[in-house]
Amino acid sequence: MANIDELVAKLAQEASAVQAAPHPFMLIIQWLGAAAIYLTVSLAVFGLRPDLAERFHHPWFAAEIATLLGLFIATSVSAVLLAFPDLHQKRALALASAWMLVLFLLILFFARRSDTPPAPLPVHDIECTLSITMMALLPAMWIFYSMRKYASTHYRLAGGVALLSAFSVGALWLRLHEQTDSIAHVVEWHYLPMIAIGLIGLWLGKVVLKW
Amino acid sequence: MTDRNDKLEQLMKQSLNGDQRAYAVLLQETSRLLRPLLSRRLNFSNEVDDLLQDILLSIHKARHTYDGNRPYKPWAYAIARFRLQDYLRAHYSDQLRHAIDFDELEESLPENVTETGFSYESISAEVNKLPEQQVNILQLMHQQGYTAREVAEKMGMNESAVKVAAHRAYKILRRKLER
Repeated sequence: MANIDELVAKLAQEASAVQAAPHPFMLIIQWLGAAAIYLTVSLAVFGLRPDLAERFHHPWFAAEIATLLGLFIATSVSAVLLAFPDLHQKRALALASAWMLVLFLLILFFARRSDTPPAPLPVHDIECTLSITMMALLPAMWIFYSMRKYASTHYRLAGGVALLSAFSVGALWLRLHEQTDSIAHVVEWHYLPMIAIGLIGLWLGKVVLKW
Repeated sequence: MTDRNDKLEQLMKQSLNGDQRAYAVLLQETSRLLRPLLSRRLNFSNEVDDLLQDILLSIHKARHTYDGNRPYKPWAYAIARFRLQDYLRAHYSDQLRHAIDFDELEESLPENVTETGFSYESISAEVNKLPEQQVNILQLMHQQGYTAREVAEKMGMNESAVKVAAHRAYKILRRKLER
């Protein structure tokens, strides 16, 4: 008990004025804004797929892009909230990305089923995964750097969600850039690796976000 | 109760503005709040004190993540639970590291494995010298065949606390019987 009193006295002596962290909604707006600029610049540099306007008339393509965008937003929100010890007391919102992921997978399932006869597979495969990875590196580093400033008590989950958020930026970029109609290819080389990397984030979170 | 909570939030706001006296009061109040939670999960007061110090340090380190506009208690409890889980995880993995490998044990066993050198009576006597809570746990688990969960329910304890208490009792017994 005496040790506790000594520690309290020592911490109080050290305590100076501290700038409280911004509200998570401000952080989310910052993060989404930065990612939107990054995505726009990347698409301006690499170009949009030529048939993009026409593809948006296909309901499953439109639904896929909408839910991928939703996944990016939901994982960004979750990552920011998970960076706070108490999830900023918005637990339901912090876990909303799980529902978005389920919705996204359902859309992919139905898009795959409606792809009859299947669109021809492109000649490349792993190049897509590598492109998404390259495109996601900068957002991943940025989001982990931002999250390290706070104090996550769910560092594994936070790491997984953060990587999923960063890789969904890459996946969104490639889907709007590359002219591929094969949903089988997209699932196999875009989205499954993206989800697998999200699982690696569980480990990375422990390494990077533990405090 | 609400007044007391409001007081904590107010103290934290003042602390964030550099009020050292408010911060000292807040940390003392926080340790008073958290001590019962830790005492329910841990058996020894020195463990509770160690962990409480660790939690206070974590609260100090993470205080910038609290803005004073939401309840203080859930924030402080989130950090406390996080550190408690870390502590228990480290504690159990330490137990596993120090657990005796069966292969090693086999090599060191005397040939006549039925002659242990100690009798049922000697074990029983040593068990009875243990703290009352540990005696009750061992009796329920080993004489009456209850599981740790059932013992926890029966004694109004947490399951992991029962396991930790049982483990400590085994350790003490092993030390005494190996002498």
